Amino acid sequence: MKFVGLLLAVCGWLLPVAGLTWTSSLAARFILALIGIALCLTGILGFLNRAYVKEAIWKK
Amino acid sequence: MRRKKLNTIIRGFVLATYFLCGVPAWAQTPSQPTTSTQAGPAPAMNAPLAVKEANPPSAEEMAKGDASGSLTGTVNDVTVSNPKVGLTLADTLNQVGQNKVAINFVWTLITGFLVMFMQAGFAAVETGLCRAKNANHTIMMNFMVYGIGLFAYWVCGFALQMGGAAGASSLGGAAPLSGEFALHIAGKTWGLWGTHGFFLTQGGTYDVAVMVLFLFEMVFMDTAATIVTGGCAERWKFAAFAVSSVFLAAITYPLFANWAWGGGWLSQLGANYGLGAGYADFAGSGVVHAVGGLSALAVALIVGPRIGKYNRDGSSNAIPGHDITMVLIGCFILAFGWFGFNPGSTLGASGSLRIATIAVDTMLAGATGSFGAVFYMWIRYGKPDASMGGNGLLAGLVAITAPSGYVNTIGAAIIGLIAGVLVCLSVEFIDRIAHIDDPVGAISVHGACGLWGVLSVGLFADGTGVGAVKGLFYGDAGQLVAQMIGVVTLLGVVFTLSFVFNLFVDYFIGQRVSPQSELEGLDIPEMGALGYPEFVLKIQGAGAA
Repeated sequence: MKFVGLLLAVCGWLLPVAGLTWTSSLAARFILALIGIALCLTGILGFLNRAYVKEAIWKK
Repeated sequence: MRRKKLNTIIRGFVLATYFLCGVPAWAQTPSQPTTSTQAGPAPAMNAPLAVKEANPPSAEEMAKGDASGSLTGTVNDVTVSNPKVGLTLADTLNQVGQNKVAINFVWTLITGFLVMFMQAGFAAVETGLCRAKNANHTIMMNFMVYGIGLFAYWVCGFALQMGGAAGASSLGGAAPLSGEFALHIAGKTWGLWGTHGFFLTQGGTYDVAVMVLFLFEMVFMDTAATIVTGGCAERWKFAAFAVSSVFLAAITYPLFANWAWGGGWLSQLGANYGLGAGYADFAGSGVVHAVGGLSALAVALIVGPRIGKYNRDGSSNAIPGHDITMVLIGCFILAFGWFGFNPGSTLGASGSLRIATIAVDTMLAGATGSFGAVFYMWIRYGKPDASMGGNGLLAGLVAITAPSGYVNTIGAAIIGLIAGVLVCLSVEFIDRIAHIDDPVGAISVHGACGLWGVLSVGLFADGTGVGAVKGLFYGDAGQLVAQMIGVVTLLGVVFTLSFVFNLFVDYFIGQRVSPQSELEGLDIPEMGALGYPEFVLKIQGAGAA
């Protein structure tokens, strides 16, 4: 789960950056950047953090 | 065509929201400079000038003293290169050039000193927001991060960041900083890190302009490094903190700072891909604050929450700091230091009169940030919370750091106000929904509001400021996309890098202190001395005084 979180964060970055060379359309770049931010946040807060909360000290 | 259409759609939508909120858009029209040219023969550069016509004071007049100040600083003080010839036009022009650079050196150094003093503000805020039993430990992290960060940055951080950033014309050029490692992808150059300036000697960097730049950039880096200590306070092992700070100062921060400020790929998004003026982060909402805030998030996840912060059902307990007066004094020190942070980022006062607007923008955003936070807390909880008031001030200042060079005062006030509310919402989210323990609100103040500051450049930049950066509300949607790519880079690269390295630290050193040390307070187990040895600390269960 932690690994998936990190992977999503990195993919979230790669997507809009790679998109710079794929397309010159501003609309497409805008959408790719939005998706990238969403992916990063999902990876960090949705997966990585959830994995840590599962084994948190206050749950023991 | 498509780009124009998208511009129109996005602008229409956001402007409608903007006006519906009752906020008039306001753009400053730059005045046209008046110039005059005089034709005539060029004067001989090395011919002696008629110094007497300037009426310099005589030695007798000077000997009487200069009570009014009208005799000091005249043609007599201009350096003459050849006494046999006397003062020439060449001497005068050289003096003018040196005076310009000297003014900029002094400006940049003094503003750098102000930023350095912000370390005291951070120390006060973070220590005040922690419990008395951890006061020595918390303030020592803030104290030591200065030296640890400085050393790592001197060894390699500065070189990686600024080694290829030559072009600081206000400081005389800093020509030795001319080495950038870059990849060439699809016909575009992607600058990744600098290669000149290790130990401030390699690559010819034993140079006065480089020294000024180093001092100024170093104190910025240290600001980012000290943010992490707040987010992980009261349970972070001192040795782990030290190693983690070295990595931040030597690798994580310089890498992103190179991409944004050192001529790296983010700053070239405009030239290479037509995205506005490229990623624009005037004084570092992203480079400094988001890097610090996201690194704090990475370490906070690894170290986990303090004992007693959360109950078994997931509800959180407030663990108040021990000295709110210290917190608010610290906030004032930080607000004072911010006048170095933002106006100083012009790297000069001569020829950069925008410093006046930048300073006013900084003041305004800080004030509206504290309004936003205080009113939010007042409305939601019935009381104007002091610590959130302080965090609101800092949130406004953090958010205006990136746009301060590009926005007008109305834009600055709105950016600060939004940051003030955002910091409260973010603190609630981090604390209650994400269950991440952040004793001082560093992730929200610096991370969330830093990212907001980066985005706000893409919305509010009015095209009159530094580099003529223009945001969406003033006609350039491409700038917003460049800023969004900056945000995604912070989240995807800076966070990940910081997280992975701190996992290594956790494996080899261990990030968290023992439960016994935590309950006792970290002052004795970690530092060997109490912060307040003559006080009797009251034990209140897990959340001891």
